[in-house]
Amino acid sequence: MEIRFAGVTKQFPPDIVALQDIFLSIDKGEFVYLVGPTGSGKTTLLRLVTRELVPTKGRVTVGDVNIRKIASHNLAYLRRNIGVVFQDFRLLPDLTVHENIDFVQEVIGVPFQSVQKRTNEVLDRLGLWRKRNLFPEQISGGEQQRVAIGRAIANSPSILLADEPTGNLDTDTADEILQLLLSINASGTTLVVATHNQYIVDSYRQRVIELRKGRLIRDERKGRYRSDGDL
Amino acid sequence: MGTFRYMIRDTWRLLSRHSGLSFLTIVTSVAVFFLVGASILFVLNTRYLVETVEGDLTIQAYVQNSEEALETVARKAISYDSVSSVKVVTAKEALERLKARLGKLAEAVALLEENPLPPSVEVQVKKASFATVIARELITMPEVEEVVYAGDIAERLQKISRFVSRLSMVVLVVSLASAALVLFNTIRIGVYARKDEISKMLLVGASRSFVIFPYVLQGVLLGTLGAALSVLLLWFSYGMALTTLERSLPFLRLLTDRLIVLRVGAVLVLAGLSVGWICSWLAASRFVRRASRSM
Ligand SMILES: Nc1ncnc2c1ncn2[C@@H]1O[C@H](COP(=O)(O)OP(=O)(O)O)[C@@H](O)[C@H]1O
Ligand SMILES: [Mg+2]
Repeated sequence: MEIRFAGVTKQFPPDIVALQDIFLSIDKGEFVYLVGPTGSGKTTLLRLVTRELVPTKGRVTVGDVNIRKIASHNLAYLRRNIGVVFQDFRLLPDLTVHENIDFVQEVIGVPFQSVQKRTNEVLDRLGLWRKRNLFPEQISGGEQQRVAIGRAIANSPSILLADEPTGNLDTDTADEILQLLLSINASGTTLVVATHNQYIVDSYRQRVIELRKGRLIRDERKGRYRSDGDL
Repeated sequence: MGTFRYMIRDTWRLLSRHSGLSFLTIVTSVAVFFLVGASILFVLNTRYLVETVEGDLTIQAYVQNSEEALETVARKAISYDSVSSVKVVTAKEALERLKARLGKLAEAVALLEENPLPPSVEVQVKKASFATVIARELITMPEVEEVVYAGDIAERLQKISRFVSRLSMVVLVVSLASAALVLFNTIRIGVYARKDEISKMLLVGASRSFVIFPYVLQGVLLGTLGAALSVLLLWFSYGMALTTLERSLPFLRLLTDRLIVLRVGAVLVLAGLSVGWICSWLAASRFVRRASRSM
């Protein structure tokens, strides 16, 4: 599924303009970094894709549906195709690692046996098998982030959105997470990673879209964290 | 099938996580439905009482204690077309009847030196509606001291029954409203405690009905269970009330078949179920609709 923004402006009451006149298009299977300082509108952009927000002006389409016009039962189906690793989208603290991954499959009605099978696959892939019965507070930050990613890919979405996935992690752990995300992308999932981690953007070069005060100021293939002009 | 299993499990989680609150809700609904049930039973019994008394075609005319007087009154009574039969009850017979009715306590009557009971003429009318007319006629006779007939009692009972009915409507409305409020709030607290989880469920593509169902089931369970327990309580206390009343007021004719409790109980359980359903649905769906509405 491709993501398209056509002249999108998002304004919060009373007059905070979080995004202004954004045009962009992300094709199926792409890996995109969304960069920019805090408050530049990265999270807002991702939340428009999941339709947690609707644009004030312009049109957001995911696949071939205009998210503004989607009916509520279709929205549930759309969201099953979008995995999210959100900044504030924490693990459920009173569920274990494997229950957290089960949870997202259960709520969309995956049969019990399939859930067990899929959760085991995901845990294997993330190297979390031995931690499956621990609670989030009993594992490290890097492991928590891996569980969050595992949860986001459990329903095999075609799009994975990650908001600051390396936020509070050291470089080694950040490397690990990035390699995981790249391998998910290699199997065909579209990835949009919002980050202000210069290290990972410069180490694993991909398409870079830069926002500044809600405006798109750069869209570059194999870009760096800072544009050449800033150097 | 899987979906259903998850929803049942979630319902169980809800009930056990807020077990204290669930318990309080059940206690409240038991109290409320007991109150409602008790007032319904009270109304049914007064109505029954009125009916049986109304159906009674007997007029009892108490007469001066002389044979002539008794005969005059009896002859006059039988001359009316609307009277079907007349029976003279002497003072002695009246005493015998009293002894029979008192059973074991009859010995106490034996202690009386003089028979205090007046003789009377028992008049049977053909239709209950004739009773008032005949009673008025009889009371005008100088030999008749007092006339007692069912219609008079029925009228008084009717007034009480009407008052009780009205009062119990108020009880019904107030109690059901408070049960509804308690249930609504319990569900709402449950929903708010899991606000986070609910928005995550919606974000990963759970349908609204999947999210709402466990809350609705919780409400239905609490409401129904509360009502069912109140029926149990009603069953035993009605039995106790009957035995007590039969002993102290043996002439009172009540609905002694406890099947009536089950009938009222069925209505209560149905009411508990509906109140639980409606309240939980309102509480949960309002929140979920708000949570899934985009800015
Ligand atoms: N729900 C909201 N209500 C009001 N203002 C918001 C809301 N969400 C974001 N904003 C504002 O929009 C701007 C962009 O925020 P955000 O998208 O979170 O930036 P970033 O993720 O790049 O740090 C900020 O000024 C922020 O304060
Ligand atoms: Mg952000």
